[in-house]
Amino acid sequence: MKTIDIIRRAGRSLRHAKARTILTSLAIAVGAFTLTIALAAGQGAREYANTLLTSNIDPQVLAIAKDKSFFEGGKTGPQEYIPGSSTIARPNGALVKRLSQADIDAIAKRSDIVSITPTYAINAQYITRSGQKKYTVDATTYDSGVTQTVIAGSLPALRTSITDDQIALPEAYVSLLGFKSAQDAIGQTVTIHLERTPSVTEDQIQQAIAANNPQAIAALTTKQVKDADYKIVAIVGKSATALAATTSVEISNNSAKALSDFSTSGTDSYHEYTIATASVKPGIDPATVKQDLINQGYGVQTAKDLQGLLFTIVNTLQGIVIGFGILALITSVFGIINTQYISVLERTREIGLMKALGMRGRHVSRLFQFEAAWIGFLGGVIGSIIAVVAGLSLNPWITSTLSLGDGNVLLIFQPVPIILLIIVLMLVAMLAGYFPARKAAKLDPIEALRTE
Amino acid sequence: MIEVKGVTKTYGKKQNAFLALEDINFVIPDGASVAIVGKSGSGKSTLMHAMSGLDRPEKGQVVIDGVDILKLKSKAVDRFRSEKIGFIFQSFFVQANESSFDNVSLPLEISNLSVRERKKRVLEALRVVGIDDKEKQKARNLSGGQKQRLAIARAIVNRPKIIFADEPTGNLDSTTGATIEKLLFGLNKQSGSTLVIVTHDEDLAAKCDMRIYIKDGKIDKIVSEEK
Ligand SMILES: Nc1ncnc2c1ncn2[C@@H]1O[C@H](COP(=O)(O)OP(=O)(O)O)[C@@H](O)[C@H]1O
Ligand SMILES: [Mg+2]
Repeated sequence: MKTIDIIRRAGRSLRHAKARTILTSLAIAVGAFTLTIALAAGQGAREYANTLLTSNIDPQVLAIAKDKSFFEGGKTGPQEYIPGSSTIARPNGALVKRLSQADIDAIAKRSDIVSITPTYAINAQYITRSGQKKYTVDATTYDSGVTQTVIAGSLPALRTSITDDQIALPEAYVSLLGFKSAQDAIGQTVTIHLERTPSVTEDQIQQAIAANNPQAIAALTTKQVKDADYKIVAIVGKSATALAATTSVEISNNSAKALSDFSTSGTDSYHEYTIATASVKPGIDPATVKQDLINQGYGVQTAKDLQGLLFTIVNTLQGIVIGFGILALITSVFGIINTQYISVLERTREIGLMKALGMRGRHVSRLFQFEAAWIGFLGGVIGSIIAVVAGLSLNPWITSTLSLGDGNVLLIFQPVPIILLIIVLMLVAMLAGYFPARKAAKLDPIEALRTE
Repeated sequence: MIEVKGVTKTYGKKQNAFLALEDINFVIPDGASVAIVGKSGSGKSTLMHAMSGLDRPEKGQVVIDGVDILKLKSKAVDRFRSEKIGFIFQSFFVQANESSFDNVSLPLEISNLSVRERKKRVLEALRVVGIDDKEKQKARNLSGGQKQRLAIARAIVNRPKIIFADEPTGNLDSTTGATIEKLLFGLNKQSGSTLVIVTHDEDLAAKCDMRIYIKDGKIDKIVSEEK
C-alpha cells in the first residue's frame, strides 16, 4: 500500500473522531505553546542582550583583576600568604587579591593599551553647593567606553574623558541641589566633601607627647577633611538600553584618583584596587591582549566574555522554560498512547477486515502511527499559532512594562525553529503511537472478524 | 483449481484441544460455484479460512493454481489474498465512516493501483452491483442490502479468481437475500471466477454446482452436478 494512501486514510479516520482528535492534540498544543514561547523569548533575549552590549560597551574594553579567581567568585578557604600582596574579602567570604599601583603602571606602559582606569574607592561624605543642603553621594570614574543619555550639557566623544575640574551628575541631583532645570545646572559648581580619621604612627605620638604640645596631640586625632569643587558638565539620564541606572556622580580619572588617595591614605587600601578597566588600542584584538595578560597571571575579561555570560544566563532561563514544555509534552504522550489504544480497540473489526483483504501488518501499523503524527501536527500548529498570535499582540505591552526601549521586543518568532518544532512534535507523537500501532498490526484477522 | 488435501485444524492445546477440521480432501474446478454446507459449529468457517489463506491449519495442503498457499510466507499469503481472493461476510464488515467509493477502493490501494485505474474500477464495480448512485455516501447510511452490495463490489473490484462468501444472506430478509444470491451467481457465470459460499441454507446450497457437506469437522458427503 502506498504511503500517501495510508496518510489519507489516517486523516479521514481522525476527522471521524473530531472531538477526540482535538482534545488529544490540545495536550500537545500546550507543550507546543510553551516551547514556541521559550524559543521566541530566548531569541529575543539574546538579541536584546546583544543590542545592550553593542550600544553600551566599547568592544575594546578589558576588565582586569589581579588573578583569574576574581571572575570565578574568588577563592574560599585559607590561601598561601604572599608578602606585599593585598586581599579583600567578598561578601561570600571569598578572598580576592587586589591590583597594586605597580600593576596598574605596568599595564599602562603597554603599547597595546590606550588607558587603564582602576575603580577607585572614594568614601565621599556628601555633595553640596553653596546655600544648599548636603546629600549623600557615590563618586565613580567617568567611563569613556560607555555611551550615556545626556539630558543637558554635553559629554566628550567615546574614548575621551571629561576634564579634571568637570563632573557629570545624575538627573536626581538637579532638584535636590536646587537647580531650576537641568539646563540651569550646567556650568555651576558643586562640592564633594571627604573626611578621614588620620592614621598616626607611634613616633608622631611620642614626639607630640615629648614636646608636651596639646595642640599637636589634638591635631593628630582630629579628622582631616577635603573639599573638592567641580563644574557640572552634563546631566545624565537613564537610558532604555543602559546596563545599569546611573546613580553615581562621575568625575575624571585623575580627580577620582586624588579623592581615592585621600580616602585611603594610611590604610591598607592605599594604591590597591580590586579591578581596573583598560582600553585596548583600536585595531588590536582585545582577545590577544587578554591572553597575554592572563599569561602574566592577571584575570581578564573582554566585552565578548560579558556577552557570553549574559547569553549563558539567557540560555539557562530558556532551558528551564523548555523543560516545562517538555514536561507538558511527556504528559501529552500518554494522552496519545491512551487515545490510540482506544482507537485500536474500537476499530478491531476494521483492522481485521484490512488484514483479511491482504493489507500488510506494517501498513496497518503505519496507519495508526500516521494518525498519531496528524495529532502531533495539529497540536503543534494550534499551539504555535496561539503562541505567535498571543506573543505578537503582547510584545508592545511587554516592551513598555520592562522598559526595553522602542524597537526592542522580547519575543522574536522565527519560522524555521517553529517548523522544526512541529516536525519534532510529529515524531514524538508517532513514537507515542508506536505501541498501539503495533497492537493493531499484530491483530489476528480471524479473531477480529469473529461475529458472535 | 483448488485442491484441499488432508487439512486438519486443532484449536487449543493438550486437554483443551478441539479438532475443528479432520482430514478434509476435495477438489474444486475453476469457475465452479460451491456450497460448504453444515450446521452451526460444524467447521465451515474454519475450512473457508484455511482455503483462503487467513488461517494456517497444522496439517494438509491447499493448492491453488499449483501453489500450496499454506507453505507461503506471510507476505506472499497477504499478496495472494489481495490479488486472488474476494471476501464477503455475513455481517458485511464495511467501513462505516468511509464513503462507498473509499470502501471499494481499499483492496485496490492495498494492491498499489494508480488513482486513475482505481477510480475506473471502483465505479465499474459499484455499477455492477447497482449502487453507483451511492458512490459518495457513507457506508453507515446504506441499508442492509446496499451494504452487502457494497461488500460484493469490494470483493469483485480486484477481479479475484475466487470469491468466498460466508453466510452472505444470513443477515438479510428473504427478498433482499434473493437479489444478492442472483447477483453472486450472475457474477460467477459472467466473470468465470470461482464462488465458494459457506451456508447452512439448503435452498441456497441447491443452486450451486457442487455441495460439500461438513459434519463435526469431517466431510459428510460431496454432491456435484454436471451441467
Ligand atoms: N479460535 C477458536 N478457538 C477454539 N475453538 C474454536 C475457535 N474458532 C472456532 N472454534 C470452534 O471450532 C468449531 C467450528 O467453528 P466454525 O468453523 O466457526 O463453525 P461454523 O462456521 O460451521 O459455524 C466450533 O465448535 C467452534 O466453537
Ligand atoms: Mg461460521
